[in-house]
Amino acid sequence: MAMAENKIKFGKWEASALIITLIITQLILGFPRLMVETAGTAGWIVVLYVTILALLAFFIIEKLYSSFKGKDLLDISERIGGSILRILVGIIFLAYFIFIISIVLRSFAENMKVITLQQSPISYVTMFFIIGMIAGAYAGIEALVRFCAIVMPIILAGLLLIFIAVSPHFNFENIFPILGTGPIDIFGKGFLRVSVFSAISLLFFITPFIKTHKSFRTVGYVSIGVSAAFFFVGTFAYLLVYPFPIGVEGFLPVYQLSRLVEYGRFFQRIESVFVLIWAASALIYLSSVFYFIVYVFKKTFKLEYYKPLILPFAILIFNISLIPPNLVTAVELESKYIRTYVWIISFVIPIVILVTAKYFKRGTNKEEKKNA
Amino acid sequence: MRKLICIFLIVSILCGLLSGCYDRREVDELAYVLAIGLDKGKTNKLKITLQIAVPMAIGGGGEGGGDAEKASTIVTLESASMYAGLDLANNFVSKQLNLSHAKVLVVSKELAQEGGIEGFMMALPRGREIRPNMFIAVSRQSAEEYIRAVKPVLEVNPAKFYELNFRAYRYTGFTANTDLHDFYLKMKSLYSQPVAILAGVGRFDEGQEFDVKGSTFDEKNRSIPLEGDFVAGEITKSGGVKAEIMGLAVFDGAKMVGELDGEATMYYLMIQGDFNNSYMTMHDPLQKDKLVILNIKRSRNPKRDVKMINGKPVIDVKIRLEADIQVLQSGINYEMPQNLVILEKAYEDFIKEGMKRLLYLTSQEYNTDIFGFGERVKQQFITWGEWEKYGWLKKYKDSTFNVDVDLKIRRPGLTIRSSPIQYSNGEGAQ
Repeated sequence: MAMAENKIKFGKWEASALIITLIITQLILGFPRLMVETAGTAGWIVVLYVTILALLAFFIIEKLYSSFKGKDLLDISERIGGSILRILVGIIFLAYFIFIISIVLRSFAENMKVITLQQSPISYVTMFFIIGMIAGAYAGIEALVRFCAIVMPIILAGLLLIFIAVSPHFNFENIFPILGTGPIDIFGKGFLRVSVFSAISLLFFITPFIKTHKSFRTVGYVSIGVSAAFFFVGTFAYLLVYPFPIGVEGFLPVYQLSRLVEYGRFFQRIESVFVLIWAASALIYLSSVFYFIVYVFKKTFKLEYYKPLILPFAILIFNISLIPPNLVTAVELESKYIRTYVWIISFVIPIVILVTAKYFKRGTNKEEKKNA
Repeated sequence: MRKLICIFLIVSILCGLLSGCYDRREVDELAYVLAIGLDKGKTNKLKITLQIAVPMAIGGGGEGGGDAEKASTIVTLESASMYAGLDLANNFVSKQLNLSHAKVLVVSKELAQEGGIEGFMMALPRGREIRPNMFIAVSRQSAEEYIRAVKPVLEVNPAKFYELNFRAYRYTGFTANTDLHDFYLKMKSLYSQPVAILAGVGRFDEGQEFDVKGSTFDEKNRSIPLEGDFVAGEITKSGGVKAEIMGLAVFDGAKMVGELDGEATMYYLMIQGDFNNSYMTMHDPLQKDKLVILNIKRSRNPKRDVKMINGKPVIDVKIRLEADIQVLQSGINYEMPQNLVILEKAYEDFIKEGMKRLLYLTSQEYNTDIFGFGERVKQQFITWGEWEKYGWLKKYKDSTFNVDVDLKIRRPGLTIRSSPIQYSNGEGAQ
């Protein structure tokens, strides 16, 4: 199996599709509200600001990564600190992935209950997502990325359709006062929101599959760029329709936008398009992150197979997802912790590891020496 | 073979699970509410009227054409809140009530004036079933009376009646598009206040009963009521549907503070940039006993500007319209360029006067910025805190207005030159 995994290779398009889909999921969950919460009418400026920060962080990471072509973060950690560091980094990322997937799983299930399945028990709704996650993990990374490559354009087109269709409700005066709740909120509180790009950290684990550094760089910039464009359009559209402070009330901003679309007596209730996009994103997000949980676990502990891990981890995640007592707690956990502090794991830890590897442990790898 | 059995088992199980057992709701087990009416209750906080669709009657039961009278059933009950009322109604309505097709929420004027809608306006957007594009109307009589008076003549389906009737503002200019989404945003806004469609039940059964006591023409010093000088329920008409809409209910937050007649509503639409087209009647500027009717359209979006002079708002409004001549009763040759200018100027003055009357009515009497001029003021602030502290809604009452109307008559219709009617005694000769 390990051999088979080494043979798996996918292109820039597939990898970008995967990362974009993982990042863009937040737009569907509540990203525009989070931006409006952060800086009021200047929520759209926060998007531009965190995009610049993310690009800057990725620029540093990408430059540092140039010496570690085809190596993922665990390989690099092992090189500088042996098995201990590899296991430590693996556990940090595992904890982060498990925490994030559990909360997102709960959010998706709760959203499903709010939108359509009001009478169904939360465990019943969650079960469907779990089945999808298990199926995705069994199918493996190659199937997941290929599926992403097909579905991602549909998701983006659907989102764009909603934003364009809701444009008759736009009121451009809603962006004033231009600095919203103030520069401190935009650039201070807003800084923490760089966490919205935290899914980029998965790119540091798919490096062995995309092989070249050029591909790594392209995938990173394209993913951040495309996601940022959609974040910007989504937040801007939401703000133009739901002015601050009403904008902070919306639980599912994009869903609420889609409910407003109406062209004449015939073309109404377009939110069904949203449900399709939403379900597709949810399944891709959950199954991809879930795959990486078992993959990182396998690689961290140098196990030969990952498939026996699928079921135990699925049960674990299912149970963790049911810990928050209610929807508000789940949403708060997501916005207060995940979307606020995970930038430390996604950007700071990789930079620290890469700097250490590059400047303090360079050339210790025999293979690299040989290549040089 | 084992693989096949496995697939078969998975598909069979998924068929059961994916049909959504818990949330399964058969369409014919649901009763769709088309209109919700809210009045002040006698025994409880609210009197709720629900107009429920009877799909069999709408569809005609396969016998060609439905029966408008039987297309809906109306129930009225009293309860503490709207959702409590729905629960109660489910006890005597055989099917489960569903609000996803509710087209209009009608509130009685009495309840709206007391601010009694505050509680449920806060609750409405939370409900998944209620659509944000549901119309909001205020009935000058009780909401129950209004809903019971909705007996469509040209449609079988009451839902279609509401949709077409409430969108007629696009070619009448006598109401506006006031939906739940818009109302909710403005109700909570710091720079704009909401309005709702004014509804009512016609007072007259026959032509002989007609009077113009309820018309606003007197207040405007007019000799006869023009088409916009009415509010809902006061239109001098008999026959057809008794339920009428005309004018707007003006709100301050969630409390109704006043009414606008049809003409004022048209000016409201023009200032908002929502005016599409409409006929407008005026006395002939050169022969006062005759009337002139133009078909007026919006030419450009309105320009609105707010300046603060000595701490008081000075609001400039510029409206650009174009028009086609529809009727010239006098036979005066207004089509000639030199006469056309006279007609254009007369209309400009007529509209300007009406607009100023409306603007000062909202600022000095109602003290509510239904036009959202505050949006322009908001631009002058850098941060939300400063804007919030400024308190625009309190300052609106001190506003002064400069209105500029530019109307250009483009086409004379199919008559290029008017000539008077000739009588044997020489009248009409020029």
